[in-house]
Amino acid sequence: MTLTAFIVFTLAAIGTYLIRVSGIVLLGGDRELPPRVRKALSLVAPAAMAAIIANSLFLEQSDWRAFGPWHIAAIVAVGVALWKRSMGWTLALGAAAFAALLLAGF
Amino acid sequence: MRVLGIQRAQWRDLWAGTVAVSPLMPGAVVFGLAFGALIQVVGLPWWMAPYASSTVTAGASQIAIVEALRQNAPMAIAVITALVINARLALYSAAMAPIFAAFPRRWRFALAYLMTDQSAAVTSMEVDKWPDPVRRRWFVLGVSGPFVGIWILGTTAGVILGPVIPESWQIGFIVPLMFIAVLVPGLRTWPGVAAAGISIATVLLLKDLPYGLNVLTGALLGIALGSFVPDRSHPVDEEAVPPGAAPEAHDP
Repeated sequence: MTLTAFIVFTLAAIGTYLIRVSGIVLLGGDRELPPRVRKALSLVAPAAMAAIIANSLFLEQSDWRAFGPWHIAAIVAVGVALWKRSMGWTLALGAAAFAALLLAGF
Repeated sequence: MRVLGIQRAQWRDLWAGTVAVSPLMPGAVVFGLAFGALIQVVGLPWWMAPYASSTVTAGASQIAIVEALRQNAPMAIAVITALVINARLALYSAAMAPIFAAFPRRWRFALAYLMTDQSAAVTSMEVDKWPDPVRRRWFVLGVSGPFVGIWILGTTAGVILGPVIPESWQIGFIVPLMFIAVLVPGLRTWPGVAAAGISIATVLLLKDLPYGLNVLTGALLGIALGSFVPDRSHPVDEEAVPPGAAPEAHDP
């Protein structure tokens, strides 16, 4: 697995660097991204992050995670995020809620 | 007056950049700890964490790769999943193009390497204060470089601390928490909400797909279907970097 991981990280690193320089190289002058492309790219972050949230929060490998502190603390975090609109507050209060639930023995 | 061959004035500009990005650093450290701990949990050697963090330098995709490998996914699927997640960086790169245009070539290629969600967001918001291209490039280096350094150190610390952190702390919770913190505060447009919702539904409906393909499919379907949702509140060209990039920085 070590060699596989090394190769995968290396290929992903090369591909990711090409993505990182793409706009800087291709759009050096006055050229702009077509609006459709821009819109699709702007949806990558919400779609990819939501996918990772769903996979890590609700599933354990391929099974449903039993309802508990993970779900409750996540609800707290989403609530704080919508209320404060701040990454720092969401992280802090989400982590605090999770720690409190674990300490309370859930 | 020079320190390490660099003018003092340029150190000041670099430091100004680091100060601008500093509110986002604690989150990167905790996230780095989680990635390092994950590397340790799946049984990879310790150096894999700093190697991945200094070459791929994009946390979400690094975690997706480890999760795919854990499920014995073929290498191609692990790589493609990572690249789909990182496709968002193309948008930031496009946003940086006019900002970097006056920089020497090697600066542009080096700063592209150091570009993250956070540094792109901070750079595009602060750039108007740096009209001089020489001072601006040192400022951008200050925003990007130390942030990547913190990320690499955090992941390395995570591997070392991994065995010390008790299982009962369930540090894995940082993964959904971090992404909720990055995603939700900046989620303001209908296409964005639709993309996220479709993605979540797809990931859960396809939970029995092997190799983490549910994550890849969910992300792709969210992007594709979300593109058809009309964007009423935002004119298309309003912002180069999406609000989801670094919501903290949008706060007063």
